[in-house]
Amino acid sequence: MATKQTYETRPLECWGKAKEIRKKYYQDYAAAHERGGIRWAGGAWTFGAIPCGLGDDVHSLTSEPYAASIAADKKFSIKCLEATERAGYARDLCSYMRNYWGSVILDEYLWGGPFPKPDFIWQDHICCSHAKWYQVVCDHEPGIPHFCIDVAVGPAGEINENKLNYIVGQMHDGIEWLEEVSGREYDDEKLIEAVNNECRSTSLWAEVCELNKAIPAPLEEKTMFSLYVLGTLMKHSKVVADFYEELRDEVKDRVENQIAAVANERCRLMSDTQPPWGFLSLFRYLESYGAISVGSLYTFGLIGMWEDKPDGSWGPRTTPRQKGIEIKDRDQALKILAEWNLHKPEWQHFYSPHLKTEMMVRIAKEWSLDGVMLHYNRGCEGLSLGIAENRLGLLEAGFPVMTFEGNMGDEREFDLARTKTRIDTFLETLGFKKD
Amino acid sequence: MITAGIDMGAKTIKVVVVRDGAMVGKAIMVAGFDSREAAEQAYAAALDDAGITKDEVEYVVATGAGRSHAPHSKRDISDVASGAQGVVTLYPAARTVIDVGAEEGRAIRCTAEGKVLDFALNEKCAAGAGAFTEAMSRALEVDIQALGPMSLNSENAIPMNAQCAVFAESEVVSLLHAKTPKEDIARAVHDAIASRIVSLARKVGFEPDVVLIGGVAHNVGFVDSLERALECKVIVPDDPEYIGAYGAALAAAAR
Amino acid sequence: MFDKLRDWERNRHEYAKAWKEHTGGKVLGYFCTYVPEEILYAAGVLPVRILGSHEPQDVTEPHIFGMFCPFCRDCLAQGLRGRYDYLDGIMIAQSCLHIRQAYTSWEKHRPTEFSYYLCMPHHVQSPRALPYLTEDLAQFKTAVEEWTGATITDGDLDEAIEVYNENRRLLRAVYELRKAAEPPLTGEEAMEMVIAAQMTDKAEHNQELRRILRELPNRQNGRVTGARLMIIGSEDDDTKFMNMVESCGATFVVDEHCTGTRYFWNEVEPRANRLEAIAARYIDRVPCPTKDWVERKRIAHILELAEVWNVDGAVVMQQKFCDPHELDTPAIRKALEEKGVKTLFLEFDVTVPVGQFKVRVEAFLEMLGEEDLFE
Repeated sequence: MATKQTYETRPLECWGKAKEIRKKYYQDYAAAHERGGIRWAGGAWTFGAIPCGLGDDVHSLTSEPYAASIAADKKFSIKCLEATERAGYARDLCSYMRNYWGSVILDEYLWGGPFPKPDFIWQDHICCSHAKWYQVVCDHEPGIPHFCIDVAVGPAGEINENKLNYIVGQMHDGIEWLEEVSGREYDDEKLIEAVNNECRSTSLWAEVCELNKAIPAPLEEKTMFSLYVLGTLMKHSKVVADFYEELRDEVKDRVENQIAAVANERCRLMSDTQPPWGFLSLFRYLESYGAISVGSLYTFGLIGMWEDKPDGSWGPRTTPRQKGIEIKDRDQALKILAEWNLHKPEWQHFYSPHLKTEMMVRIAKEWSLDGVMLHYNRGCEGLSLGIAENRLGLLEAGFPVMTFEGNMGDEREFDLARTKTRIDTFLETLGFKKD
Repeated sequence: MITAGIDMGAKTIKVVVVRDGAMVGKAIMVAGFDSREAAEQAYAAALDDAGITKDEVEYVVATGAGRSHAPHSKRDISDVASGAQGVVTLYPAARTVIDVGAEEGRAIRCTAEGKVLDFALNEKCAAGAGAFTEAMSRALEVDIQALGPMSLNSENAIPMNAQCAVFAESEVVSLLHAKTPKEDIARAVHDAIASRIVSLARKVGFEPDVVLIGGVAHNVGFVDSLERALECKVIVPDDPEYIGAYGAALAAAAR
Repeated sequence: MFDKLRDWERNRHEYAKAWKEHTGGKVLGYFCTYVPEEILYAAGVLPVRILGSHEPQDVTEPHIFGMFCPFCRDCLAQGLRGRYDYLDGIMIAQSCLHIRQAYTSWEKHRPTEFSYYLCMPHHVQSPRALPYLTEDLAQFKTAVEEWTGATITDGDLDEAIEVYNENRRLLRAVYELRKAAEPPLTGEEAMEMVIAAQMTDKAEHNQELRRILRELPNRQNGRVTGARLMIIGSEDDDTKFMNMVESCGATFVVDEHCTGTRYFWNEVEPRANRLEAIAARYIDRVPCPTKDWVERKRIAHILELAEVWNVDGAVVMQQKFCDPHELDTPAIRKALEEKGVKTLFLEFDVTVPVGQFKVRVEAFLEMLGEEDLFE
């Protein structure tokens, strides 16, 4: 084993700003009506850029990050989960959904006051639970208009005109629907701006993740969770795009000056799927072995957009602007938005786990990993889909893998002590010892 | 050189004393409420069994679920590492270790040197462990020691699902109500646990020789079911429940 | 009377192998009833639905995480154990996440000469779905032609559509007879009949159905009908369960399953563009919950079946961990109960614990019986 090395480490300077943006996001949503604005709800993957055409006073509440915030508050989470169970829903359903429904059923907002009901629901659908999530919300809050776009047209490598037309057609229908439910006229200029922002922010996030190829890694995954989340709130906003640019610059600076996230880094790992949000201390526990999770396909590719670079490496996707494309009209904006999103890394395994394995093996190689820890996440069928095949593929490629079962949003299904023991066993077998 | 290994299991504590690679003393105690005290007693009993005094022991390594609470130990290693080490020392041709204890079942694939290549453990559910057989023997109102031999008399395979121990228990009750012979139910129970364990073994990709350790290895009915499901012979050491402690004692010597 | 159908259902592998031997044609295994079988049949391919065997197994743990439904694991186990080694191809039409894992693991570990993932749209309530699927089917048709070397003409499609439509009409004709006060067949027999349809040459199945329909109206099966039940839910080919319930003094008179009515309810309506006609059929069919949004159209259909078949109570079942059905179950039960149809909810696993379920079924039937006392 390599001799123990200690790197310089320091907190991120832009950390406070990230927290501010997140806080303001949830406040803006709750307070939107006070200013005559619009509130809408939808998933983190929905085409949030599109409702931007209704005006600057349109605020969203994305479901998964909201539910993850609930999950991190164990007391409120249990209350929500139990309310959902009492209403007759199965315990093995998506735990984000169950936390979210609980908040709706109890009529309690995580940050106080009643649950701020959306004016409409603007969702997209690739996981079976996506559209159905809000169908159930509407069962409990009848009368909320709901529009949902099916994006499950196959992997990025098989995109064709027909598939794009299907999605873009639904988007056009959606805009007409938005005008109808909001009573507002749609502004294409605002849409175009939002699409450009989305491409910029999601490409920049990939660039931040790419910088983590450096040894020592400038970021560890627990920190990344708090940063990538902004993209799940409003990837289409200028605020987030600008923030990611600032973050990119700071992380670049850390790499140049060998500022590490973990001072004793000597073992590099990645995780997979959402972590058990109430137990992020798990990632800190790794540090006792000098181990660090430098990310995952989840943190890299849930919102980050990637492409093959000429040197064969994986890097940030070139934005339409960077390619010199100036979007002229609505149809072009929608086409670009659809095609951009169809390349999302975390959308590929819905068609084949083997596509995900390829990306994971690629990360393992390019980010110089010693091993992989896969969270078999009972809380999310969408991201746990095919995970057992991913394990086989990673092993076949020569990377040691440990698995642990848990649940991102239901603490009753996670055993911290047992998981720590499993980490001990895994790192021990890899030849690492506790400090 | 004399070393000792302490296996702080979920239900029982095992201590093994090793002199130059050979097991010279052993003892087992129920963990009870005060596992540290039980470990002290087991430690004293094992030394006694070996005819060795405390001062002669050079190094102690602990393993098992409660290993951080072990007395005398200077280091601890995982159950997976101790199990693999113990097994390959006794059986150099072993490549797969199946370890079924009270609360946990595991499958380990390792090299001739005892280096762990991959491992899989059962999850929260006890369906793949000794506690499951105990619950089932209670449901059958049969002594746990009798459960194994009883199932060998069965000639009927009854499919039973062991996804969940609670569910399986009520399935046993239903079978009893339906006047299903107890030996057939006993076999169904063993088949169900074996199926869970073989799932783990397939996950790590088992290769012969396969060695079964842990307390449940004493259950001949389970061994029979396991061999049928694996479609290969399984080696059971003389003291299957002591192999973890033995491996820890060997690790103490190799430190 | 149903011996032949039962024989086909129970000896599905022998049937398919014999068909292959006899015709020299190719057999394709499919994982979901959204697969447009007409196109395969038009190319001379026999599509057979891959189902599980209801035996505990230990081979899928390395491939599918245990939080997914027992059905998808049971299906994959059949492939891994080599029971479908005679298949020339496999395919899936996109529906739930669970079953597609059986397909993707099978494709990798038991490769066949042809495999196809059809991106069946989920948003079937959007007008955009029809042109999209029509074009996608054209691509699929080309792939089938390349695989089989056959050219699929409009004439071939018409013939296949007619065979399939006839099968749907005949199955519905049998179901019509179940409306009678004393239905001439049990739910178990009906289930075997529909499952057999999913794994045999429809022309042959039609022949058998025509014979059965001639004799069925006069059949005296010597049973007491008892409570009239409906069974609703996810994939379900558990004939043992049907048998147990029907031996407790009840009869299943109708179902809402993809191994039942959801499979055959709608016909292909003729259109100049044959592929568009087929696409429309799969888009407009009674939906699987994965595609039943944003409106829940299935509920109105379920209520209609319950009313027309004069149902006393409904068994709402699902495969354990089946998220799509879990997402509809509370709404379905509520809708039924509001119409006065009592429901019993059960979760199915690979093996069904008949003893435990019997206790619940008997209690349920008792409850239905009490209702009558006060009428």
